[in-house]
Amino acid sequence: MQRRDRVFAIIERELWTLLRNRVVIAVGIGFFGVIVGLSGVSMGSPGGYVSLTYDLLLPVEVLIPTLAFAYVYRSIRGDDERGELDVIRTYDVSRLEYVTGVLIGRTAVLLVVVLTTLGVAGVVASQGATPPVEFFATHQAGDTPVVYIRFMVFAAIYTLVASSIALTVSAATRTNREAIAAGVGMLLTLAIGLDLAVVTLVSTNIIDAGSIAIFTGLSPASAFRGLVLEMAIQPALAINPSVATASPLASAISLLSWFGISTGITVVAAWPETR
Amino acid sequence: MTEQNARDTDEPPLAFTDASYAFGDVTVLKEASVELQSGNFTALVGPNGSGKTTLLELFAGLRSLDTGTVTRPTASGRTVAYLPQTPGFRSGFTVRETLGFYTDLVEDSADPDSLLGEVGLNDAAARGVDELSGGMTRLLGIAQALIGDPPVVILDEPTSGLDPDVADHIFDVIESVASDGRLVVTASHDLAAIETRADRALFLSNGEFVLDDDPKRILEATDTETLREAFATVFRTETSGVTRPGANGGER
Repeated sequence: MQRRDRVFAIIERELWTLLRNRVVIAVGIGFFGVIVGLSGVSMGSPGGYVSLTYDLLLPVEVLIPTLAFAYVYRSIRGDDERGELDVIRTYDVSRLEYVTGVLIGRTAVLLVVVLTTLGVAGVVASQGATPPVEFFATHQAGDTPVVYIRFMVFAAIYTLVASSIALTVSAATRTNREAIAAGVGMLLTLAIGLDLAVVTLVSTNIIDAGSIAIFTGLSPASAFRGLVLEMAIQPALAINPSVATASPLASAISLLSWFGISTGITVVAAWPETR
Repeated sequence: MTEQNARDTDEPPLAFTDASYAFGDVTVLKEASVELQSGNFTALVGPNGSGKTTLLELFAGLRSLDTGTVTRPTASGRTVAYLPQTPGFRSGFTVRETLGFYTDLVEDSADPDSLLGEVGLNDAAARGVDELSGGMTRLLGIAQALIGDPPVVILDEPTSGLDPDVADHIFDVIESVASDGRLVVTASHDLAAIETRADRALFLSNGEFVLDDDPKRILEATDTETLREAFATVFRTETSGVTRPGANGGER
């Protein structure tokens, strides 16, 4: 049995777990309904994809971590509660293999839900536009689907990071209540707390306003927002803003760091290395 | 703490040497040594809170000793199987699918239906794991423990809370597993069954194996008629202050 086969077995288990869970499906439908519903408001908007991206940015920023938590928090936590984690440990499965399989399996379903939803939202918003939205990118400025495709790419990266953080919560907590409390705390911290912290630091002159573009990249949510504003929307604007809202480099490093550090913590927290 | 591996059949598949482990206020092992042999059904006996589950977890490699040495088989693949006291399996899967997942984790994939046959669960193969009774869940857990043909199988109170008929069936399965040349170590409060079925009983008290022998010889040594009486004799001092016996849970 190769390592790859063991990881695939774990991935398959996670996929079927989610696909057979009615609550998971209902939450996915809820996410789909909210995002596609919001895109319906943009249907026919002269702002096109730029307008749609603006409209969906905040909901996606908040809902993706929520969706990730709903899909992921029971994974390792549930195995531990049932005693299956102890059983799995008696097989020739390393912590890294187990965590990799769980992360890939859960994130794959998340990505399908997020990207399908955003794809449908894009199609819905493009319907009935007058004058017709230009569907082919011919130049860097102006509204093009490229704006929205970039938004979807960043949303996918953000989904991966949110999933890895939710998995850390699942591995590092010891009870269901702990996991839920930590998950809510995580959502509030990522969606609001870190941004508020940066605003507080600026308002108290601990960091200067010129550095705010870098510091906003510290939170995964604001890093995602910064990448969308600077890399997806900004190139489509006819007039470039004089001040950058975020540092794309800092945002990219931040997301990479959040993913790497949270996954590392998950591997260590999954179970103590005793054998 | 060090770990050794049993390299050949002359060495015991499972052993503690001068092993110590404390868990909170409970001293589970105090420089204790024991060697367990293959083809043997060994029962671990002790009052609630004596640390039986923790000791089984130490044997299974789920915990590390504070000091001392634990010896386990060296064969590649799965060498020690473990079934927790109240096993559960992920919902949404059938019995066959659940075993299928675990067989995918080992080198030589066993046939889930064949494993179910060994424990008498053939008819439940297509049933969802959520639809199983407590006894059937334990049997599924034992079938899982046979995957990869591990030389050591550790079961934590596999009959607790089950009716006598199901408990008897589970002990039949355990004896069958041990007769295949495996070492089966089981914590249990079912002293009547241990008396007649186990090859060896280990009485754990205050971190020491205070009795370690064939159950029949334990009766002779303690001058008692039943293992229940022997248990009362050995643990009388510890339980004299107990006014209300606790539940089986929370053994950790």
